[in-house]
Amino acid sequence: MSSKLPSNVTRMGDATVIRDEDASTPVAVRFDHVTKQYKLFKNDKLRLLSTFSKRIPHDTVNASDDLSFEVRRGSALALLGDNGAGKSTALKMITGVCFPTSGTVEVHGRVSALLELSAGFDMKLSGMENIDMRCQLWGLSKDESERLIPEIVEFSELGKYIDQPMRTYSSGMRARLGFAFASSIRPDILVVDEALSVGDRKFAAKCKSRVRSIIAKENVTVLFVTHSTGMAKEFCEHGIVIQKGKAMFSGDIEDAITYYTSS
Amino acid sequence: MFATLKEVVGENWHWRRQVWNLAKIDLVKTYRGAALGKVWLFAKPAVYILVFWVALKFGLRSSSDINGKPFLLWLAAGVFPWFFMSDMITTGSDVYRRYPYLVNRIKFPLSLISTFYTLSLLIIFACMMAFTIVVSLATGVHLGRYMLQLPLVMVFMFLFWLAWSMALSPLSAISRDFSNLLKTLGTPFFWLSGILFDISGWPRTARLVASFNPVTWVVQSVRDCFIYNKWFFMDLDSFLPFLCVLLIFIVLALHNYYRLYREVPDVL
Repeated sequence: MSSKLPSNVTRMGDATVIRDEDASTPVAVRFDHVTKQYKLFKNDKLRLLSTFSKRIPHDTVNASDDLSFEVRRGSALALLGDNGAGKSTALKMITGVCFPTSGTVEVHGRVSALLELSAGFDMKLSGMENIDMRCQLWGLSKDESERLIPEIVEFSELGKYIDQPMRTYSSGMRARLGFAFASSIRPDILVVDEALSVGDRKFAAKCKSRVRSIIAKENVTVLFVTHSTGMAKEFCEHGIVIQKGKAMFSGDIEDAITYYTSS
Repeated sequence: MFATLKEVVGENWHWRRQVWNLAKIDLVKTYRGAALGKVWLFAKPAVYILVFWVALKFGLRSSSDINGKPFLLWLAAGVFPWFFMSDMITTGSDVYRRYPYLVNRIKFPLSLISTFYTLSLLIIFACMMAFTIVVSLATGVHLGRYMLQLPLVMVFMFLFWLAWSMALSPLSAISRDFSNLLKTLGTPFFWLSGILFDISGWPRTARLVASFNPVTWVVQSVRDCFIYNKWFFMDLDSFLPFLCVLLIFIVLALHNYYRLYREVPDVL
């Protein structure tokens, strides 16, 4: 969204989402008793019927269950948890692609996510067109995108391949372009999801130093989602351990890692 | 309901520059990978028209001039809108699957996906109409002042098919059954909508039913411009039913959109 948009509160049933571009608030992200419930149906037919009637039998699963935490502006925080603990769901709610079932999600500032870097590209378009499209999707102004595009192309090291269709790229090339874009658009909140292991060692090192320089900037909030404790320790000061959708521990990164590894 | 309408219109207005650019990107995407690119934009319709013309002229022997205009023009004025509508019936009603990464990878207002897809198809349609007009003028066919209503017809087409896409895409995203059903309906719509024949000869009840078919209305209205020299809004017998269907679909679009747009990212 562009920076002109005023504070934007959306209410949906029991859930409230507050999302704006105001990067001056002391708290960047706040989750207040957030629950995200997925409905599981036996098959697509029942799912379709359920849009017409509320009484279709289904299972529910709480990917986030009464999750509360707070990320202060300018801090670097690690979300630790095993697979299926609800980290990705929490991230999706931060980035705004999915909506909570109940509770309050508050996000202040432009969010850029380094999740599943190779996903979200259009395989039929060339690398350049994809970057162009993403600039559009992010609502960047023309000046801004003209300034950023050379920087992105250079960082991705794709060279002549930039004008080739994405489907001809290797997964490493896609990931490089994804990382280059997500880290170049000067986010207020950067979400990193197991992404720093992309590409070869040289590029991985380059990514790490890029993330470090982003963290070093004041006011950029970084959220790390990982089950690799080494990475968490390297970048973050605080840690939150998520288990079964709940925040079990919140505090110093060392203590969080101790809690996570012992549980 | 009105809150949703306000929200959807607001989003579209706020992102109008992106909608336009994304429509252009969609065009690029459609014709990407083909060396001739834009030529296909005209080659496909030209071949279709030719085949229909041959089939009707030599097969069914019904190719006399209509209202003093060449049969080929009559055919073009029906088949070109059909290309637009057949894409809307099949892909347009399942547009979230065309752009899954806009739904569940980045935060992007879902209502815009329908808008820019419909717009990109409408751009193609406008090109074909321009092409038809140029060819008509070049071959000495007289086009009257009724051509002036063509942009208005296109506005109505845009509104209706946008509502169609917004009403049905969430359902298609949730269930493949639904999108398959709509794909199956493509061919029946083509044959039942008076694209290749004049439905004015039909029995009264059949015509009454047909007047509620938006495909028929669109084809008739485009032909009103080119062939029949009528103002489409004067023909209340077909315009009022169309307005009813339009209204129903707008209500349906807002209703389904409001109810389902949060669920779509979860299921896609």
